[in-house]
Amino acid sequence: MRHLLLASTMAITVALAVPASAEGVLSVGMAAPDIGQVDPHKATTTQDKPMTGWLFNGLVRFPPGSDDLGALEPDLAESWEKSDDGLEWTFHLREGVKFHHGYGELTAEDVVFSLNRAANPDTSSFSGDYAAFEKVEALDDKTVKITLSAPVPSLLGLVANYHGGNIVSKKAVEELGADFTLKAVGTGPFMVGEYSPQESITFDANPDYFRGKPKLDQIVYRFIPSDSARDLAMQSGELDVVYGRQDQQWIERVSAMDGVSVDVVRPAELQNIHFNMSMPPLDDIAVRKAIATAIDRQQFVDFLGDAIAKPAQSIIPAGNLGFAPQDLVEKGDPAKAKQMLADAGYPDGITLKMIQTSLPSMLSVAQVLQAQLAEAGITLDLEVVDHQTFHANIRKDLSQVVYYSAARFPVADVYLTQFFHPRSIVGTPTAATNFSHCDVAGDEIDAARVEQNAQKQLELWKTAQQKIVDEVCAVPLHEQLIAWAKRDNVDYGYDLKAAMHLGPIINENTTVSDE
Amino acid sequence: MGLYLLKRALYTLPMLLGVLTLVFVLVRIVPGDPAIVIMGDNATAQALAELRTRLGLDLPIWRQYIVFMGDVLTGDLGRSLVTNRPVLADVAAVLPYTIELTVTSLALGIVTGVPLGILAARKRDGVLDWVARLVSLAGLSFPAFISAILLLLFFSIQLGWFPVLSRAYPLDEPVERLKSLALPAINLGLIMMAYITRVTRSSMLKALSEDYMRTARAKGVPGFYVIWRHGFRNVLIPVITVIGLYFGVLMGNSVLTEIVFNRPGLGKLIISALDKRDYTMLQGLMVIYAFIIAIVNLATDLAYGFVDPRVKAK
Repeated sequence: MRHLLLASTMAITVALAVPASAEGVLSVGMAAPDIGQVDPHKATTTQDKPMTGWLFNGLVRFPPGSDDLGALEPDLAESWEKSDDGLEWTFHLREGVKFHHGYGELTAEDVVFSLNRAANPDTSSFSGDYAAFEKVEALDDKTVKITLSAPVPSLLGLVANYHGGNIVSKKAVEELGADFTLKAVGTGPFMVGEYSPQESITFDANPDYFRGKPKLDQIVYRFIPSDSARDLAMQSGELDVVYGRQDQQWIERVSAMDGVSVDVVRPAELQNIHFNMSMPPLDDIAVRKAIATAIDRQQFVDFLGDAIAKPAQSIIPAGNLGFAPQDLVEKGDPAKAKQMLADAGYPDGITLKMIQTSLPSMLSVAQVLQAQLAEAGITLDLEVVDHQTFHANIRKDLSQVVYYSAARFPVADVYLTQFFHPRSIVGTPTAATNFSHCDVAGDEIDAARVEQNAQKQLELWKTAQQKIVDEVCAVPLHEQLIAWAKRDNVDYGYDLKAAMHLGPIINENTTVSDE
Repeated sequence: MGLYLLKRALYTLPMLLGVLTLVFVLVRIVPGDPAIVIMGDNATAQALAELRTRLGLDLPIWRQYIVFMGDVLTGDLGRSLVTNRPVLADVAAVLPYTIELTVTSLALGIVTGVPLGILAARKRDGVLDWVARLVSLAGLSFPAFISAILLLLFFSIQLGWFPVLSRAYPLDEPVERLKSLALPAINLGLIMMAYITRVTRSSMLKALSEDYMRTARAKGVPGFYVIWRHGFRNVLIPVITVIGLYFGVLMGNSVLTEIVFNRPGLGKLIISALDKRDYTMLQGLMVIYAFIIAIVNLATDLAYGFVDPRVKAK
């Protein structure tokens, strides 16, 4: 009887056994219930961005696995030249590049159309980046000229395979209309296959890819909002690559799985604490200095784990072009902070209101901060709200202290402008995310943007960072990297050091072999 | 019968209107801004304001309400604020999977719960009674997302019988589709079984102590017929009540179950809409949910009339 039971159990097991993932098909798991779109000019979310790196090319590109603006290399453009004043750029396109699904050969017309589309707020989420674009024109079938109204810090960055720089097919946009959102047509190694709402979207190898036909046949990009389901599916081998949590425990647990390894990569999200200088007592620099003295920055790295968190060295991320390390308070000193507060006229300490997101990874950091400040007699009142409420309310200038975590395009200009330029102060019509009302470095930021001498430009950015740190508009805590896990039989075909698209590039060299 | 149905259907109309108003107000009371979700967190205030205008979010709230009600009454649930896809199309694409899951688990709950409850009642305080009570207590106390993970760990990781990730297999792949359905349906079915076992057991106990049961036995009706003809019919009314009542609970738990098993369905849609403050999608989903519950209530009422002619007479 027992044998019979065992045998029948085994028979069922064999019959029901889950097939291993098919060869040539790469299954990627993403932490989201569904996709938003594959339109590269509108993809702003963590789940939408990685795909843009598989489907599209720019005139130039970040080498796969790199986020170095200095390393940009030819992509759709073979060569380019610029005028001495940096206002006119001419790009020469590669011959014989074909769009997906028979949408024809890439011409200068497509590039003109794409860049104008990226600059138009109705069709692009990144139009602000292209404000200095005066004219984009096709000189002939394979030559594109860009004329700027003022120099920009990294024009090549704006025409790279990232955000608005991705080139789409003019014909496809015009023919598909609203359907383009989920059927976007580019020139990259993979092209949109089938979309199943809430489940997956597939990308098929582009046989005409100009760098050669991809070694993979297909990518299946699966939407899996549940953390535990993603981890279990990785363990069972149903997924080859999975989006990771920014969490040391997750990294350690998943790394310990059989045949699975974790890549921890840039871009780093810099975590800044912004002090709202329009509200007392934070309008007093002595108070802000006291708070900065009370913050023990190393403790955050210790708390989160050094695999995922690195000490911050300035109020902009370390990977940015123009980053200059600053002289910051390294070790918290609550006694000294208390004394400084007393000297500033607050012997009984202060109470600060902070609107805080309930996102677990950010809430725990805020609680560490709360505990540190408490030791110096500073009460941090956390008003914990859900993430969307947090985003809405801090933009209404409602919080005295704002803890914000962000990565931006890796040029100092972008982070500095959005978080520290007077034009970006929250509550104004031109507002972006200047939560502190910081207004000490606007001139330097503006001057650096148009400076043609690279050395002088770096100096200006350095001065801007120096001034902001001296004014204590914000205190940087730490930088947090992103994590992706993959099974050992997956070979991206390059060294994954950075994921500009928040996910690994999957290209013509990526392979998945039998385990 | 036709008049009865019409009367019942008319009763649900004010309820639906009330739910629609409540839903409209609720999704707007919750702070948050869909424009930030759509544009990304680095958008300027000006760009956000322009987008809000385009989406009609800057209209006075009473005008938004009139537009919303007018659209719903003409059967138009609008387009998602975030994806700009028609709400109805997105819902229709996944609704069959939610219905498949809830109906299967309901059926599982009934075919296991009713016999278990009857058997437990027949031998009160016997071994089977204790087992039934323990199982139903477990079913009631385990949150759906915990039991889901336990099922996955055992059947998918340890035994490898079922996939971790469910998929929307088409009908012409019945085996794969069943395999995808099995664990989620068992997970939800256990909860439904727990409720049904308990109510069946207690109503059967009550019925067994009635005078007419003693009379039936005294006049020599065989045990099975006593239970079947005199006991079971009286148990049906409370069982139908509990099924109708807990169908809402079932829908709620199906959200959690769909998320953990990664099944397509209304669950993933609603979580994502909530997360993104997709007002139109949330409203649309609530309308659908309210509609489903209204239909279930109607069906419950009709079932009363069917099993107990006295109800119809009233």
